[in-house]
Amino acid sequence: MRIACPFCGPRGSEEYTYLGDATVRRPEGDAPSEAWFAYVYLRDNPAGRHRELWYHGAGCRSWLVVERDMRSHDILSVAPARDMALARGRAA
Amino acid sequence: MSAPAMILPRQAVATSAAGPAPAQPFRLAAGGLVDRTATLDFTFDGRRYTGHPGDTLASALLANGVRLVGRSFKYHRPRGILSSGPEEPNALVELRSGARREPNTRATMAELFAGLEARSQNRWPSLRFDLMGVNQLVAPILAAGFYYKTFMWPAAFWETVYEPLIRRAAGLGRAAGEPDPDHYEKATLHCDVLVTGAGPAGLMAALAAARAGARVVLCEEDVRLGGRLLAERRTLDGLPAPDWLRGVEAELRAMPDCRILTRTTVFGAFDGACGAVERVSDHLATPPEFQPRQRLWRIVAGRQVLAAGSIERPLVFGGNDRPGIMLAGAVRSYLNRFGVAAGRRAVVFTNNDDAACTVADLAAAGVAVAALVDMRREVSPEIRRIAEAAGASLLTDAAVTRVRGRTALRGVEVTDGAGRRHALDCDLLAMSGGWSPSLHLASHHGGKAAWNEARATFLPPEQLPPGMAVAGAANGDLLLAECLAAGARAGAAAAQATGFRPAPPATPSVDGESTASAPFWWVRGGRGKAFVDFQNDVGVEDVALANREGFRSVEHLKRYTTLGMATDQGKTSNANGVALLAELSGRTIAGTGTTTFRPPYTPVAIGALAGHHRGKAFRPVRRTPTHDWAAEQGAVFVEAGPWLRAQYFPRPGESDWLETVTREARTVREAVGLCDVTTLGKIDIQGPDAATFLERVYINTWKALPVGRARYGVMLREDGMVMDDGTTARLAEDRFVMTTTTVNAVRVSQHLEFCHQWLWPELDVQMISVTEQWAQIAVAGPRSRAVLERVVDAPFDIGNDAFPHMACAALTVCGGIKARLFRLSFSGEMAYEIAVPARFGDALARRLMEAGAPFGITPYGTEALGVLRIEKGHVAGNELTGQTTAADLGLGRMMSRKKDFIGRAMAQRPGLTDPARPVLVGLRPVDRAARLRGGAHLLPRGAESTAAHDQGYLTSVAFSPALGHWIGLGLLVRGRERMGEIVRAHDPVRGGDLEVEVVPPVFVDPEGARLHV
Amino acid sequence: MSDTALAARSPLAGLLRPGRQGARGDLPGVVVQERTGLQIVSLAARKGQEVPLMAAVRAAWGIDLPTTPRRVGDARLAFVWSGPSQWLAVATDWPGDLEAALRAHLGGLGSLTDQGDGRVVLRVRGPHARDALAKGMAIDLHPRAFQPGDVAATLAAHIGVQIWQLDEAPTYEMAAFRSTAGSLCDWIVAASAEYGVEIVEPG
Repeated sequence: MRIACPFCGPRGSEEYTYLGDATVRRPEGDAPSEAWFAYVYLRDNPAGRHRELWYHGAGCRSWLVVERDMRSHDILSVAPARDMALARGRAA
Repeated sequence: MSAPAMILPRQAVATSAAGPAPAQPFRLAAGGLVDRTATLDFTFDGRRYTGHPGDTLASALLANGVRLVGRSFKYHRPRGILSSGPEEPNALVELRSGARREPNTRATMAELFAGLEARSQNRWPSLRFDLMGVNQLVAPILAAGFYYKTFMWPAAFWETVYEPLIRRAAGLGRAAGEPDPDHYEKATLHCDVLVTGAGPAGLMAALAAARAGARVVLCEEDVRLGGRLLAERRTLDGLPAPDWLRGVEAELRAMPDCRILTRTTVFGAFDGACGAVERVSDHLATPPEFQPRQRLWRIVAGRQVLAAGSIERPLVFGGNDRPGIMLAGAVRSYLNRFGVAAGRRAVVFTNNDDAACTVADLAAAGVAVAALVDMRREVSPEIRRIAEAAGASLLTDAAVTRVRGRTALRGVEVTDGAGRRHALDCDLLAMSGGWSPSLHLASHHGGKAAWNEARATFLPPEQLPPGMAVAGAANGDLLLAECLAAGARAGAAAAQATGFRPAPPATPSVDGESTASAPFWWVRGGRGKAFVDFQNDVGVEDVALANREGFRSVEHLKRYTTLGMATDQGKTSNANGVALLAELSGRTIAGTGTTTFRPPYTPVAIGALAGHHRGKAFRPVRRTPTHDWAAEQGAVFVEAGPWLRAQYFPRPGESDWLETVTREARTVREAVGLCDVTTLGKIDIQGPDAATFLERVYINTWKALPVGRARYGVMLREDGMVMDDGTTARLAEDRFVMTTTTVNAVRVSQHLEFCHQWLWPELDVQMISVTEQWAQIAVAGPRSRAVLERVVDAPFDIGNDAFPHMACAALTVCGGIKARLFRLSFSGEMAYEIAVPARFGDALARRLMEAGAPFGITPYGTEALGVLRIEKGHVAGNELTGQTTAADLGLGRMMSRKKDFIGRAMAQRPGLTDPARPVLVGLRPVDRAARLRGGAHLLPRGAESTAAHDQGYLTSVAFSPALGHWIGLGLLVRGRERMGEIVRAHDPVRGGDLEVEVVPPVFVDPEGARLHV
Repeated sequence: MSDTALAARSPLAGLLRPGRQGARGDLPGVVVQERTGLQIVSLAARKGQEVPLMAAVRAAWGIDLPTTPRRVGDARLAFVWSGPSQWLAVATDWPGDLEAALRAHLGGLGSLTDQGDGRVVLRVRGPHARDALAKGMAIDLHPRAFQPGDVAATLAAHIGVQIWQLDEAPTYEMAAFRSTAGSLCDWIVAASAEYGVEIVEPG
């Protein structure tokens, strides 16, 4: 599997570490326990497009949001997690 | 017991093992691509033979009249050479001897070299007379699924009787049993276009792409380029095939960005890359100096063209596995490429027009052709003419219904459409059931091959691996002209797709041919076992049995009968097996479907997969700045994650590690010791929001920590469990240096980046690892200050008032070396950690030893470090299991209630605050002379030793020099309420069971007075 | 109380001896050299300070900080991209303390961390340098894909490295964590053996 790092270019999966679902949002500190439980444990497993967090630890140490088709393994987009997080912050 | 006579020409008979190697009686007088000017000696089962450069072991054996080469997997039936390529299911032999002995090598792929030693497999005591051949007599109980049926009861026999029995009978060759003396490599190749297979289609694809300027890699598993063109008498552009091939190869080799890898099998199409193995030195007795035996290539290609050709299908009839029965294409290959007649008198048995070539080539080589047996009712006038010219009788609508001979073919009986039987003497039967595309790589991404009724074959799946195109015979095109044209088109398209502007090369003109075929493979009513899968010994009855017992899905058929499994992956058997199952179950072949071909296409040595990374290079080793100094001190090293750390420093006269470790720990408590702690992760955290960031990742508070002070911190995972711990020091208002445990350094760094980049990108904080920048040495013990005073430059004051416990500072040591000093203690003694730029680490250790000599300083290793921290009840990796909370470890009060931090919310959930959780306690044996064992489980006194009574376990144990007996830390249910209680430490693994007393986890100086002197 | 300064020790001391190894022949296919006399300081822009930081670097040394994986500068001082808004300043025989010089010019625009002791830097050059590196590095070093001035952070024989190309010889420099120096050298020497490898005096 190869992921095109937006900074470093295409690299093999051995350079990356997988974390998981990029669609969950960390609740506010005082959120009810159900929200925390959902954030930490509940995950969808969609048959199709999904966004995941990958870390380019052996490269530029950037966290990336990788959009992937779970059926074909096709990678549809890769974006720096920080940029997405900042955009999310601006939108909120 | 005398062996039955083989049909062999007179001159080959009666050669003794000791005598001179015989001539090659089946070698044709002329022709072929072998070098007849040189002769190579080799042995097979200890007997000497000769061959020529350019031979494979198989062609050389055939040239010498050796037909019987192995025994089959299950029934130990005599087997000969079936094919001339990687699909060979029968001729699996052991090559070489000693540490280089390699089992299960296909004789058809092994290039001959001088001195090659080869042996047959799976026979005892000899190939000719194999006792396990009695398996044939009990064949009914070895039928499909016999493993599942036979070895069921009694269950007590599973491990004691059945498994050893199966293991002894299973498998073919013997592994060398010694370390492989050769070395292997792995490397990566990038290209625009990968072409797999250098037959007519692959060569044209490579030409088209390379001429367009693309970076091309052309992989061919054979030693020569050409594919089937090497085996057939064809002309291209008016040139004999070998001459045409020379021209193409010369052009490709002249192009700087075209790389040709011969002896290289592309064995898998993986996600993002292909795997290929180059047999760099397999054709030599031993690899040349500095050359690997094999090289594993990871090939990253923009596009790829699969031109792997096709594999001929055997016909399925009773006795079709007799030595001397061979695929017709292989017969032609041995004639035309190797100049070897596979027999003296042949019968050709076929369902297709390829037979014309077989008959013609045999006749041209002077081999008598007794008959052409065609399963079809009608054949073309051209075939009639060729048969007539060869003097072969033509039997149509006919089939072989019986074979004669046991270890070699002596004749066949043919039954024609009218029911007439014809007895024919022959020592060679060339059979052809048509050709199946070699499409394995095309289905490695899960795509299923699709049945094509018109071509009566499986074709590559519609869903190909990304970037792959299939061309030529691999795509079902059997005509040479089609292969050449399709290859050129595919190569041009691949170049275009990778940004080049190709002009497709002109396709060479070729002589005419016909590939008409009729889909008949199975002869009913013949005598003897009819095999579908030769390698796995699966016959028609096995498929029929599976069908009767309801295993009608091809996937079930495969598992139940083993058809198409193992190293063979169904190369010669898949289409026949599926067709047979379809017929037996009354379905179409398309409706029956096929199994998925899996990588590797052919077996890959484990050594090739490991490459450079074996033995000491198994994985990178990280050495501390004081490694060489420690080695000089006689240190014994231990792996700590990727690091090598000094474990203990034995001195002359010390009898074992425990004596050494006890001495080191005692010296720290009583005088002073030093220990390299460089391996602890160090992260430089800077920025205006650095303190805020720490507040959010640690459970305790940081904003109020003054500059020049350090603090112990604990971080949790978001699920509330402890992730890591360590001390973090404030170097400036906007700068901290964090330490992590050795093993978690990388993980913590990744976690902090995650928190910063994804959770809190608004924070102005920057971080980078400085683990390697600083050599850090702990100096611990009551005399540590006295030692340090001798290295710290004046006027810096390290006295207790100026530099108290948990102080830190930047300073200089040893006359101007910049350094950082931390007053930290893991041992519970007054202690410092001193950091200098890593290049000075070695010299600093030596200087500290000199400075400490008057005070009795000793170096101590990780074992003594462990003893000292257990005596103090400090947690470490054994307690930070990922299943412990801060409260479990007695650190619950550190958790701030005034702020949010990672893990805060989930740490409050009922499961993690349950008072019945196992918590950290100290444990000491009631019998003070008894030794504790880590991992022993804690059980109440009097309770049965069952999991139901399990209340925790000993996480860490040590012999305490301070107390003079063994002590331990453990996790015990409700442990804090049970001080003074006696429980059992039960150790079923090592057979221990002793009483221990529950005590507070801090065994030495519980008030911490020694820290503050 | 202390006296003389401490002796420095190279990460490869005792591990890489100068001389010829592997296949014999006139010219070595690969030449390996440990770099010495380097100062390395990591630089990370403070939040939102990329533009003024770049201006300050340009003003002080006439170097445009690269925003893609490139190395800009010369043998005396170069900036090597090492991540978004992060660089390594690499200086050879720099008079004085590089970190202090950077701090003087860049002030609060970036976070500076001395890394000179944390890295081993190997120079690898020769006609077969690419072939040898391909035995442990998965990135494409073909001249169409990687040229002088290009930089990559990647793995070599499972060891994290930063590699940059200096010229078309080709000459590469590879920086890795100091502790991995032994394993890194064992690998590059083994990978180069078939071409003949010359280990030259550090410099």
